[in-house]
Amino acid sequence: MSRPLLIDIRHVSRSYGNVRALSDVTLGLTPGTIGLVGNNGAGKSTLLKILLGLLRPDSGGGTILGYDIVHSATALRGRVGYMSESAAIVPLLRGAEFVTLAGDLYGMPHRDARRRAHEVLNYVGLGELRYRRLEEYSAGNLQRLKLAAALVHDPQLLLLDEPTNGLDPAGRAAMLRLIEDLIAETGKSVILCTHLLGDVERLCQQTVVLHQGIMIRCAATSQLREVLENRYEIGWDGPDEPFRLALSHAGVEVDTGTGNSSGSIMVNVPAGFSTIAFFEIAHSVDAVITTLKPDEQDLAHMFLRMTGQSPSHDPQAVEQDMAHGS
Amino acid sequence: MGVDLARYHAWKGKPRSPWWATLAIVRVAMLQIFRRRSYWIVLALGMLNFLSFWAAIYLVTQFDIPTRIQDNLLEAFGFSAIAAPGEDSGYIKFMQRQSIVVMMLLAFSGSLLVGADFRTGSLPFYLSRRIDRRHYIVGKLLAISAVVTILTTLPALLLFLEYGLFTSSVDYWIEHWQIAVSVLAYGAVLCVVLSILLVTLSAYLQRAAPIAITWSSLFVLLREMSNQFSDATNNSYWKLIDPWRNIRAVGRLCFGEFRDAQQWQMARFSLAILVLLCSLALAALVRRVRAVDIVS
Repeated sequence: MSRPLLIDIRHVSRSYGNVRALSDVTLGLTPGTIGLVGNNGAGKSTLLKILLGLLRPDSGGGTILGYDIVHSATALRGRVGYMSESAAIVPLLRGAEFVTLAGDLYGMPHRDARRRAHEVLNYVGLGELRYRRLEEYSAGNLQRLKLAAALVHDPQLLLLDEPTNGLDPAGRAAMLRLIEDLIAETGKSVILCTHLLGDVERLCQQTVVLHQGIMIRCAATSQLREVLENRYEIGWDGPDEPFRLALSHAGVEVDTGTGNSSGSIMVNVPAGFSTIAFFEIAHSVDAVITTLKPDEQDLAHMFLRMTGQSPSHDPQAVEQDMAHGS
Repeated sequence: MGVDLARYHAWKGKPRSPWWATLAIVRVAMLQIFRRRSYWIVLALGMLNFLSFWAAIYLVTQFDIPTRIQDNLLEAFGFSAIAAPGEDSGYIKFMQRQSIVVMMLLAFSGSLLVGADFRTGSLPFYLSRRIDRRHYIVGKLLAISAVVTILTTLPALLLFLEYGLFTSSVDYWIEHWQIAVSVLAYGAVLCVVLSILLVTLSAYLQRAAPIAITWSSLFVLLREMSNQFSDATNNSYWKLIDPWRNIRAVGRLCFGEFRDAQQWQMARFSLAILVLLCSLALAALVRRVRAVDIVS
């Protein structure tokens, strides 16, 4: 029997005036950890709004956790924990009061909300700081506090919007470890909306890539990695056309956009392809393999290839580019 | 056995109606107001006014003072000859004085209670929970209303109780029960009008200085303009552009103060203008708190 879908939306579109923010997006995702990646303006925020039931799609519809995104939006938000990207603090409150307020807003009885607030603050490691004013929290602790506020009502689905944004490397690692532990311990589904592809690679089982309002890829992160694993840079001495032809006869897909001064090209091999076959193919056309190495690029480069941008950047630059919407 | 706080625990309770969340918004707003020390100065002014009225009622009811001295004494405590403690006019006078304090407090607190939600991105914090914009708006209106009630209606009712207690008879309460109802009605008018206007202004202007300037312009500048126009054209209907006067007129209407037909008619016009103003402001507020603005 197939698993019930966590997200089941069909042909969802949304425009702001003349700007098409989301175009005919269909998603059927099973429970688990899902990465939602894309440049600024890719439609991530609009999709988030729709998933939270805060924005009605112009056309299409669907369900999240079995709740209709249009007609059961308030009930849906009761089962979803949302951690926003913005600071979103209520002035003059203390940590415990802030999380208690979140519980109250989720409809928890006040006494339960207060008790749960202390529990989740301890869980995220803010037990000692719970009576501190929100204005005095560091960026890392503020992210933990927002995670506690999203967890207070024990949601089935966590929607985390840039949870490691603005954190130093140590803070980022600690936050990712906390989310990892949470997923491992509770089995909650998580949608991670981020431009940091490293976070997606580390945490997410499924990845959705949006570009200019269109969903260009929705696949298991492991499948995306497999694509990378099945990709090689190959160089040879010998006839050019016969070798390329022999490769394609063997099921090897030559990346037409590649090729450098030394004659190396990028190729995608089918599953189960043995690298020894490269030498056999070369031998059959009187060529000699001079270079053969697996593609060591990561999801960031793959994202650029999928979105038709130059793959010649280094990964950090790619992530920065994504953050700035280039 | 204690709870292992290092581990995650599920919550198995049943959520309540989202309308309960409005009370949480009110509770948090009260916390915010009472935590800002500068607001205590304004609150102290309100308390001072209340204590002077309390003392006046105590003196009048507990001591046999000659009328002339009593009038002077009442004047010193803020009553006039026509605003006697224990009478309708005394309560109107008290609530009008308190509402000046309320106006001052609201001018500064709009930014904290509402403007900050828009300015610092707290609106997503509220609206991404199990409430929608109706609950958020009602919660904020109730929060402002709570501030107004604490400074006007509640102390006025306390004065009503005090007068009955110090005259050592329940007759005062029985014979003048309409006063308590009138106090509640005037308080309700203040709550509705001031909360809608302040929340709307704060949602659009967000920062303390523009809110305070616009708020005082609304109630001081328009008052001046209405007086000038009214005097220049000899047309008393110009006074209707002054919302502060309109609120007071409707307050007096609640106490059944108006005897002649023209005053009665003007008060009804004031009520109509306030209803129109509040409806427009509410429509603008609903438009402002749109889900489109939720996720930046």
